[in-house]
Amino acid sequence: MKRVAPPLLVGIFFLILQTTLLSSFPIQRFRPDLLLIFTLYLAYLFPPIFGGILAIFMGYLMDLFSGNALGFYTFSRPLVFFAAQFFKERFYLEGFSSQFLFAFTFGLLEGILILMLMSTLQAVSFLNLYPLFFTFLLPQSFSTGLVTPLLFLLFQKGSSHLFRQPEKGMKEKV
Amino acid sequence: MRARDFFLFREYSLLISIILLLLFALVLMSLRAKQRKGVEYVDALLMEFCSPFQKASHLVIKTVQGTFQQYVFLGDLQKENRALKKRIAELQEENHRIREIELANERLRKLLSFREKNSPTMVGAEVIGRDPSSWFKSITIDKGQRDGVKKGMAVISPAGVIGQILKTAPDYATVLLITDYNSAIDSIVERTRAKAIVEGKGENRCQLKYLLRSEEVALGDVVVTSGSSGNFPKGLMVGEIKKVDKKGHGVFQFAELVPSADMTQLEEVFVIMEPPLPTEPLEEKGKKGKKTKK
Repeated sequence: MKRVAPPLLVGIFFLILQTTLLSSFPIQRFRPDLLLIFTLYLAYLFPPIFGGILAIFMGYLMDLFSGNALGFYTFSRPLVFFAAQFFKERFYLEGFSSQFLFAFTFGLLEGILILMLMSTLQAVSFLNLYPLFFTFLLPQSFSTGLVTPLLFLLFQKGSSHLFRQPEKGMKEKV
Repeated sequence: MRARDFFLFREYSLLISIILLLLFALVLMSLRAKQRKGVEYVDALLMEFCSPFQKASHLVIKTVQGTFQQYVFLGDLQKENRALKKRIAELQEENHRIREIELANERLRKLLSFREKNSPTMVGAEVIGRDPSSWFKSITIDKGQRDGVKKGMAVISPAGVIGQILKTAPDYATVLLITDYNSAIDSIVERTRAKAIVEGKGENRCQLKYLLRSEEVALGDVVVTSGSSGNFPKGLMVGEIKKVDKKGHGVFQFAELVPSADMTQLEEVFVIMEPPLPTEPLEEKGKKGKKTKK
């Protein structure tokens, strides 16, 4: 229970922040995706199966308060989680630039996946969607990347305090 | 042979689990698309759990924003005169409070007169949250099934059409805005009575689809609901045409419109509970029913 409840509550907390505080900012295009950052961090903290279930829950939460009727995030978030799990050993994640790049890349990839799903499953014309790549996806992924190092630091402190064990891959120094 | 199978399974168990989890996510997606009761029940349960926090957070943010604005203003005054700071702060606070009350009063009076003018079967709701993703356009309101809100009901504001109810929980509901890509409303151009479908285009813009090339539309033309889609009463303001494009070939022309209601500044909205029903035919039906019973 001690391992399950905190990530669920943190997920809900970030969802609330994303739907209220971040939505009240005047520039919506630069709104970072906090739940995506948290999902990426879950890949470092939890094993694939348990973490995968948590990632599905994070996606489900996103879909719950979204106008997205099909529930794309329920599918895209576990995919992001497993991809992050796969790359976590191959990616040096110490320092601002690498963490920024990591989140920025995953933000872009998830956005492209959502665009593809929208144009295939929801019959939204791709001609209408592709300008969003520059107007929404790039600024949002950029801001997500910028916030990531700070949140990773907070998550690191929070998780080491909660579980009293160093995370693999994040703190290990050769 | 069995032992070999077991070891093979153990070797690939992680991969199998990942595939199963992804399949589960796909099943969830398809259940949501089919609007199965189970998924709707879980949705409502989670919304009921999360939305009170959302409401509280919304309230805190509004209060903090107000206080912060006051503080910044006070900071400037402090530089000018230290002695007058306290007095000015008090006056400013009072002034701010009065202005807030005055604005709220004016807004509510407008809402009330709008409600009285249009339909008595409307429920006022407060916007407590917005879409967590940038791709989709929706808002969360503090009225739900207990207040009679149902899926598909029209949501409006004094400025015009806002959208329709997408999901409901006992005390909360999600509204799909007309600017969302998945939104479509049957409408007409007020001046020429040309029929078209208003579809969302993201970022506070919509487009007119299936507008015949032969129809005359101009910049500034007002688009209103046609009333034929059932949920929206006829004649509600949707927006104003900002771009007309007849270039290219085909049966239809392209037009872009800006919604009359600013979707980024929504605070209070109305949910139309039932479209106004004609009373006479129903009474006649009742009489006929009674006659046949006799």
